[in-house]
Amino acid sequence: MFGEIVKGLYTTLKHLFQPPVTVQYPEIKRPVRNRFKGRHELKRYENGLEKCIGCALCAAACPADAIFVEASENSDEKRFSPGERYASTYEINMMRCIFCGYCEDACPTQAIVLEKSYELSFYDRASAIYTKEMLIVDVPVNGRSTPQVVEPGIFNRAIPEMEDPK
Amino acid sequence: MSDDLVTLSVDGVEVSVPKGTLVVDAAKKIGNDIPVFCYHPKLEPVGMCRMCLVEIGLPMRDRATGEPLLNEDGTPQINFGRGLQTGCTVQVSPGMVVRTKTDPVEQARADVIEFLLTSHPLDCPICDKGGECPLQNLTMRHGRGNSRMVFADKLHMEKHVPLGDLIFLDRERCIQCARCVRFQDEVAGDPVIGFHNRGRHLEIATLSEPGFDSYWSGNTTDICPVGALTTADFRFGARPWELTPVATLSPHCPSGSNMTVSTRREAKAGGRSVIKRVMPRQHEAVNEIWISDKDRFVHHFAESADRLTQPLVRKNGKLVAASWTEALDVVAGKLQQAGTAVAGVSGDRLSNEDLFLFQELFRKGLKSNNLDLANGRLAGGDIVAQVGISSGSNLKDLGKGDVVVVVASDLHEEVPVWWLRLKQAAERGAAIVTLNVRGTRLDKYAKHALRYVPGEAVATLRQLVNQSKVETDGQSDDPIAAAAATVGSAGNLVAFYGAEGLTYDETESVAKLLANLLLLKNGDGHAGKKNNGLIPVWPHNNTQGAWDMGIHPSFAPGYKALPEAGLDAHAMYEGAASGTVKALYVLGADPIGDGLMDGRGKLDFLVVQEMFLTATAAAADVVLPAQSWVEREGTFTNAERRVQRYYPAITPVGDSRADWQILAQVGERVGLGKPALAASLVFRDVVKAVKQYKGMDYRSLAKYEKQWPDVGGDDLYYGGNAYENRSGLGQQWVAAAESGKVGMFEVAETAVKSSPGLKLVRTAALYTPGTLISHSAALLGPRMAQPTLSLSTADARKVGVADGNRVEVTANGMTMTATARVGDAPDGVALISGVAYVPGTAVVQIRKLQEEKVA
Amino acid sequence: MIQDKYAEEIKGILARYPTKKSAALPLMHLAQREYGHMSREAMQEVASILDLDPTHILSLTGFYTLYYEEPVGKYVLEVCNDLACALKGADEFAAMASEKLGIDVDETTADGLFTLKTVMCLAACDRAPMLQCNLAFHEHLDEAKFEALIAKLRAEAASGKMAPSVVEKIAAYAKQS
Repeated sequence: MFGEIVKGLYTTLKHLFQPPVTVQYPEIKRPVRNRFKGRHELKRYENGLEKCIGCALCAAACPADAIFVEASENSDEKRFSPGERYASTYEINMMRCIFCGYCEDACPTQAIVLEKSYELSFYDRASAIYTKEMLIVDVPVNGRSTPQVVEPGIFNRAIPEMEDPK
Repeated sequence: MSDDLVTLSVDGVEVSVPKGTLVVDAAKKIGNDIPVFCYHPKLEPVGMCRMCLVEIGLPMRDRATGEPLLNEDGTPQINFGRGLQTGCTVQVSPGMVVRTKTDPVEQARADVIEFLLTSHPLDCPICDKGGECPLQNLTMRHGRGNSRMVFADKLHMEKHVPLGDLIFLDRERCIQCARCVRFQDEVAGDPVIGFHNRGRHLEIATLSEPGFDSYWSGNTTDICPVGALTTADFRFGARPWELTPVATLSPHCPSGSNMTVSTRREAKAGGRSVIKRVMPRQHEAVNEIWISDKDRFVHHFAESADRLTQPLVRKNGKLVAASWTEALDVVAGKLQQAGTAVAGVSGDRLSNEDLFLFQELFRKGLKSNNLDLANGRLAGGDIVAQVGISSGSNLKDLGKGDVVVVVASDLHEEVPVWWLRLKQAAERGAAIVTLNVRGTRLDKYAKHALRYVPGEAVATLRQLVNQSKVETDGQSDDPIAAAAATVGSAGNLVAFYGAEGLTYDETESVAKLLANLLLLKNGDGHAGKKNNGLIPVWPHNNTQGAWDMGIHPSFAPGYKALPEAGLDAHAMYEGAASGTVKALYVLGADPIGDGLMDGRGKLDFLVVQEMFLTATAAAADVVLPAQSWVEREGTFTNAERRVQRYYPAITPVGDSRADWQILAQVGERVGLGKPALAASLVFRDVVKAVKQYKGMDYRSLAKYEKQWPDVGGDDLYYGGNAYENRSGLGQQWVAAAESGKVGMFEVAETAVKSSPGLKLVRTAALYTPGTLISHSAALLGPRMAQPTLSLSTADARKVGVADGNRVEVTANGMTMTATARVGDAPDGVALISGVAYVPGTAVVQIRKLQEEKVA
Repeated sequence: MIQDKYAEEIKGILARYPTKKSAALPLMHLAQREYGHMSREAMQEVASILDLDPTHILSLTGFYTLYYEEPVGKYVLEVCNDLACALKGADEFAAMASEKLGIDVDETTADGLFTLKTVMCLAACDRAPMLQCNLAFHEHLDEAKFEALIAKLRAEAASGKMAPSVVEKIAAYAKQS
């Protein structure tokens, strides 16, 4: 009986002299793993056009029903994305999202990517809804912001580089 | 009967089907989905896509004796021939053996899919059909999952080709099945789209003016088995799986077309659920699987930005927002103050529940029979109750030997669905007799197209009816006699009557004469038998219901004659002007805007219950905001007397309330007791009051059964074609002639008043401006009917008007401006279309307007 | 308006057929002869004579290769590049011809003399590569023979003694048959 108590206290004592496993967040932030799935980003092509074509397959794949997409039609005078369709509304309810990454798997243009940011906190429910403006990445250095006026007939394919199925 | 059945086996399952059935349909009957693209059960088979290849074997016979050859075990020897055959073009024959699951069949299907996909863009993520696409479904089920073709070799074609303002073509997606081209040619009779070029360069093209000029164009997007044809309305609007389908009925058409509205909640609309598209809902006895473009595209009024959202009460000469309680109190008080000088007019777009409570409010609450339709064009509801088309009839059953008489109506413009169905009947061999003041599109399919001089419709019809009594050999030079012979020998007889160029009283005589025609004792009368009877071409979707509910100065609900008739609408408008009518309740109508009423006159009180601030509403003391048909539930009765339900689909706009609810609340304030809580409960009261509706309730109206052909959203065979009907087929009420004897009608001889001069006849146009269509204008704007005056060449010369001139038209004290068209009218008649309703025929003055100088 | 100009001829054509619709092809030949090609207006005119929707005439024009929707040159060179000819180098031959004439397939030279087209089988598979120039076959072709043909046609045009244009020839053939 006494022996067991000493044994237990010894274990406690041992850990007193080991380096701590806790991290002093938010002063210190641990790097995340490569496969970490954090907040979503909507990507752009190098020319600034949005990759998202508003197909809503992410919303269909979402097991938590966290994504909502409304699509509209592109024109060469007002082009958001290649092809005919773009997302005019794109919303993710971060409180519903379970960060499973199914949306990323479903995306035919690799437009939505779960990146590394994990600092998501809100004071009210409404601000948990991330809009397209919040989710979309900045325009690349050599690109232009959307909507763009483009030369007719160039960006007529929604999925620009379609490969032979393997 | 069994002689007409053929027994065959499909994958070892025996099935007996009528002679002439195609192999694919026989297989479908036992749940074996042979994949198809070009085949459609409503179209002639063409065997173009080769998707339905199956092994078809026939029993072998001894050449000498003709005896069947048997195997050693006694089973018949079957010869499967050398190759596969298209199941959509081969008719069944006795002893046929069909194999649909063998290796060669599966391989053929995979090959056809691979071939169809050689130039298909596979842009399913952005395709509106994606999710309900037969090509997608069949590729998943029968495709190989890979292709031997090189992606880079895909032919890239235009993806945005407008075929007119309503329909868009994506050339890449087209698999050249020709369903759309065949539909327009075979079913709609408008061959305005066609194949252009050949092979891989083939495309759908149109040269009509305007492009794809047909009232049926939207249906091609339904039957398109890929996303090649899309509507301007739904393009990129939503993905099909996000939509909630809600069963509804046409808010325009007296045929009672069954439709489905697909709704979705949207951020753009502030979280409200909105209508994304309207598609047909299958009802083989009403509209089959087709709806006209008006039904499909004129729904935007429900979500129009200028809908009324709260009650308005006039204070200090201005209409200001008020609470419901305040508005209802004012209405009830003022109506009661008016005593017997109270009157009510109603539109005929409202549901039976609304109209019934309106009637209750007046007859029981206000003790007044001053109740009528605001714009009664067509009389004879009481005659229809006697000899209306018998319950259980179906225009689809009319064929060889049957006769359809159409009087004073242009069905193509008024009720396109009936036009379509009569055209099919004519092609099956039914004889159509038209009687009109001018030529209509139906004449092309008519056996006899009779004309009458303006004003002599009744006399001419009387001649036809009288001559039909006489047995003739059918050989006659007189067109009326020839038509009478056809009518006299009819197997089944259906008669339609409209109001084109007729006064209200004339339509009553026409209805009676046609009723007599149906009652004639040549054989033993048509009235009361299945597929026989009278169909009125009502102007709106629920005019029939308005008659049934007693919105009439001399009939209570159920056509019970009243001892003392009230004022009719015309008398009410005059009373309003002279001051004998003190208070007027206008329900879902716009008599001032329609030119029936000249301002509010000397009315003390005018209350309008409407969706929009119409001209009448703007002149009112109280305006009560009503809900549109998609926001609430109810029943409509179509002109074939079928009572059908529709369901709430979208969030109500603002503070608006359902019409029946408002009327019940007014009723409560005039002492009619606690209002009913639900439309279904109001309908219970309707059934109690209207004996014809006996046995109906919301549950029985929602009954449905499986219909043939099998179409449905998740069906692999015709997926995405139309919605399967799972919300009710409705019930037809029984006309008096079906259950008892009906006497002949007395039709008074009327002297033909012939006055000299050109006669004005107003003709219908499907897209004539009106309250609903004008609030859905964005889409149909370019197609809206413009005021047009048609004259014969001789008459145009007489009045000095040339084609394209702007003219001023004056008749009956009304003046309109229109564009002249020369050559489309008979001599002595001026046809005007695209304007508000003008009853009867009137002598017209035409003045050419000076062309305005172009700045 | 061919309806007024050739009223008698049109009447004769219509009389040959039981239904008006059947007279579409000969009337289209007539219209093409008149206008040089089947313009949209020509299609509208033919359609109105036959009480058809112009879309039907457009379909026919697109289906048959001897109706031209665009204006064509005096000489229409139609190279067959269907399977058998393609195996014998028809595609390369068409590319060579296109380079020599300085135009793409389906284009007309600036002087309005030549239009180059590729067509489906002309039933001369054993003599590929071949082309049809104003309905006359030229077979077993190569670069030299093609150049000689072009030179001959240019000379013919320059001399002013030009053979009937392709649409006239087609119309004449159609009349004979």
